[in-house]
Amino acid sequence: MHETGIAQSILEIALKTAAENGAKKINNIAVRIGKMSAIDEASLRFAFDALKAGTIAENSEFEYMEVPLTGRCEECGTESELDGYFVLCPKCNSGRIKILSGNELEIAYIDVD
Amino acid sequence: MEKIEINQKVLSKNDMDAAELRSRFKKNGTFTVNIMSSPGSGKTSLLEKILGALSSKYNVAVIEGDLQTENDKERIEKVGVKVVQIQTGGACHLEAAEIERKLPLVDGDNLDLLIIENVGNLVCPSEYDLGQDANIILLSVTEGDDKPLKYPTMFFAGDIFIINKIDLAPYVDFDIEKAISNAKKIKSTLEDFTISCKTGDGLQQVIDWFERGILAKKQCS
Repeated sequence: MHETGIAQSILEIALKTAAENGAKKINNIAVRIGKMSAIDEASLRFAFDALKAGTIAENSEFEYMEVPLTGRCEECGTESELDGYFVLCPKCNSGRIKILSGNELEIAYIDVD
Repeated sequence: MEKIEINQKVLSKNDMDAAELRSRFKKNGTFTVNIMSSPGSGKTSLLEKILGALSSKYNVAVIEGDLQTENDKERIEKVGVKVVQIQTGGACHLEAAEIERKLPLVDGDNLDLLIIENVGNLVCPSEYDLGQDANIILLSVTEGDDKPLKYPTMFFAGDIFIINKIDLAPYVDFDIEKAISNAKKIKSTLEDFTISCKTGDGLQQVIDWFERGILAKKQCS
């Protein structure tokens, strides 16, 4: 259950950005979470909902965008979405895969009034 | 309604703290290793076995992370190495800011080697950069050879994969070759070692790896 600290960081960045832009209310917070990033969506949402109470993000929606695991094979150059966690090239079966996406843990944008 | 693009990494506070630590370790020439595993894989036993050899030649310190107790700190003190315990309360991982706070207690700017024993957990610690040069993932044969596949994030974060308690391998269904091949499916560049803290098997190779790291770090500081 490390999602609480991550939800706290997301909220802090959102509140700081909103304050810098003179916003009164945050309507939406969008995050990009890679499939490999060991984040449980339900736990993150639960923590976020508990933490946002009493802030200008109190009524905000939480938009969770999952980023697929993709990689490029260093043997044959194939770029592909990797199925599950077996990081093997689907074309030539090589284990030498350079990960291109799937480790993201980013706040993408906020919608404010 | 206005959309504000942010596109910022979420762990940014910890990442910034870790970056500061990393530049401090570089300046001081401190080789820093973060050890992660399940509870009971033998992290502290490994330290007990290798610290004697290293602390006679180098200035070494250990930071211990656990939810409660100072048991591990006491074990490391017995081998005569500077050690400080972080009790996380309930938290399942260590963060860079806590490492920074504890450094003064172990003469943190004059070290050749700093070993951080993370909280026993195969999930959360992998997400938190501590400014380390290398992550060691320790797995014991009683845990099962499919663990790399079940906890890929941890193995993906690793640089060194050590299998411990190999003296017990004949008594449990653990295929060492399969565990290594599973780990390398997750990360092909993992360097692997097989050891037994009980019999001493393989420990010299791990000590040699630490020494190579210490000397390499000195050269680039």
